[in-house]
Amino acid sequence: MTRKFSLTPYLFLAPALLVIVVFVLYPIVAVVYYSFTDYNISTPPVWVGLRNYQQLFKDPIFWQALSHSFIYLLVTPTLIFLSILLAIVVNRKLPGINAFRALFFIPVISGSIAVGIAWRLMFDTNGIINGTLISLGLLEERIQWLAEPAYTLPIAMLLTTWLGLGYYMMIFLAGLQNIPEELYDAAMIDGCNTWQKHWHVSIPGLRPQITFVAVISSLAALQVFNEIFTLTGGLGGILNSGVTMVFYLWRQAFRLNHAGMASAIAMVLLAITLAFSIVNIRIFERGTEAES
Amino acid sequence: MKQTQATNAHAAAVLRHTIENVLLYVVLCLVAVVTVFPFVWVLFTSFKGPTDAIYSVPPQLIPHDPTLANYGRVWSQLPVGRFYLNSIIVTLSIVVLNMLFTSLAAYPLAKMKFRGRDAIFYLLLATFIVPPVLTSIPSFVLAVNVFQYYDKLPAVIFPYLATVLSIFLLRQAFKGVPNDLIDAARIDGASELRIWWDILMPIIRPSLATVAIITFVEQWNNFFWPSLMLHTMENKTLQVGLVALQSAFASDSRGVAAGVVMTVVPIIIFFVALQRQFVRGLTGAVKG
Repeated sequence: MTRKFSLTPYLFLAPALLVIVVFVLYPIVAVVYYSFTDYNISTPPVWVGLRNYQQLFKDPIFWQALSHSFIYLLVTPTLIFLSILLAIVVNRKLPGINAFRALFFIPVISGSIAVGIAWRLMFDTNGIINGTLISLGLLEERIQWLAEPAYTLPIAMLLTTWLGLGYYMMIFLAGLQNIPEELYDAAMIDGCNTWQKHWHVSIPGLRPQITFVAVISSLAALQVFNEIFTLTGGLGGILNSGVTMVFYLWRQAFRLNHAGMASAIAMVLLAITLAFSIVNIRIFERGTEAES
Repeated sequence: MKQTQATNAHAAAVLRHTIENVLLYVVLCLVAVVTVFPFVWVLFTSFKGPTDAIYSVPPQLIPHDPTLANYGRVWSQLPVGRFYLNSIIVTLSIVVLNMLFTSLAAYPLAKMKFRGRDAIFYLLLATFIVPPVLTSIPSFVLAVNVFQYYDKLPAVIFPYLATVLSIFLLRQAFKGVPNDLIDAARIDGASELRIWWDILMPIIRPSLATVAIITFVEQWNNFFWPSLMLHTMENKTLQVGLVALQSAFASDSRGVAAGVVMTVVPIIIFFVALQRQFVRGLTGAVKG
């Protein structure tokens, strides 16, 4: 192409690129470097080679955080299952259905900090959850929900599911509305009942949305922070029972001033995220190949 | 005989249909209760007076002794007005400037041919999967050592002035505009800046609305980075202030509940008013 050189496109790009270079690209490079240094942010970094990584892999809390983050990924299949079910229900043309759809969307916009704090009050030992369960006869005496290591992660996961359900429901609803009505009619003629109809028509028809939700919600699950922060009051739970990768990183970097160590955690997190994205993209590509 | 059979079959179908609908409404109402309950409970708790129990068996939901004292206590002990003001300043400046910067960048990426276009595009694409928490460490160093805006509002505005998601959405929108329109304007001698502002921006208004809503919700609820930057009470945004309130009112559930209500109510009102745009905006990013 023999077009004369023009500065115009670069000038259009300049402001946005400047922001992204300073706040995304430079930090990625810097964090790689920091991960090989002893660094506390106030004094200059000192090169220590692989020491951060060696210490990290010896730290039992790191392995705990890693396994918690993987356990947290269980919210993804849960969310996919529940939000498809809900999308199928709200896809019915029933009176008042729009009000229900809007209502289910409210947790999505209300923010995980405010909601997390509300949940902390509810799950308090002197909270409504204990009061309700006891008066229903489901509990003998109060449980310290948020001080019991076994419950920290499940409650946080429940919160994440509750926060995201409406969002993923809307995505699947949009997907369902794109499925041609004839496919359902054909399934009915073939003698499918309601369940079979959805199994053979809705689920295959929603494959692009399922892939999207799998990618988005699993990346979000790997990076969970606000739910843990609010439910454990910023402490990570008794015996680190709520410490996930990002929470561990945050504590190392901004509570303990171990920025070098935290950068090494960030590198591990990046590696996991990359691996996950590649796996997801592979699955997605196979899906689109099959379609064409 | 045939007719009665038909009516019977019809009646059975109607009955089945009714039962099915009743069941669906039961499911819908159950999910609605689970969705709404935390909000309703927090609202009632925020109005509870000192004689209303927070914990009791059976639980007490509705206050017998309703009061606004909890709100008064929160408002007098924390600069809640400043929290609101800061959140509004931060969110609005980001929404406006982000739209401006990213729509400027998206235009050449969609409609111009130049060296390095694909390289830039794929570089941006690659940053999508970088966890935001990763960039927080060097960004913190920059804030303290280079920009020196630690504990000031610009610290929570600058990093969000351009986001890759906005650039992608707007690039997609610009791509949908016919080339003839742009070519005609170029032949008429319009500058690229004029074409962008006068011709293209009005056409892609729905996509700009999507970007505005996504950015608004994200920034209004943003916590991680602002919590690292803002420490002086007067400089906190609502979300950061709410966490400060949670620790200041650790033994005062009624006060914490009032704080939660004050944080959540503005965005819920906004959502109810612009419901359609919200849902379309936040899920419209997913056209795959």
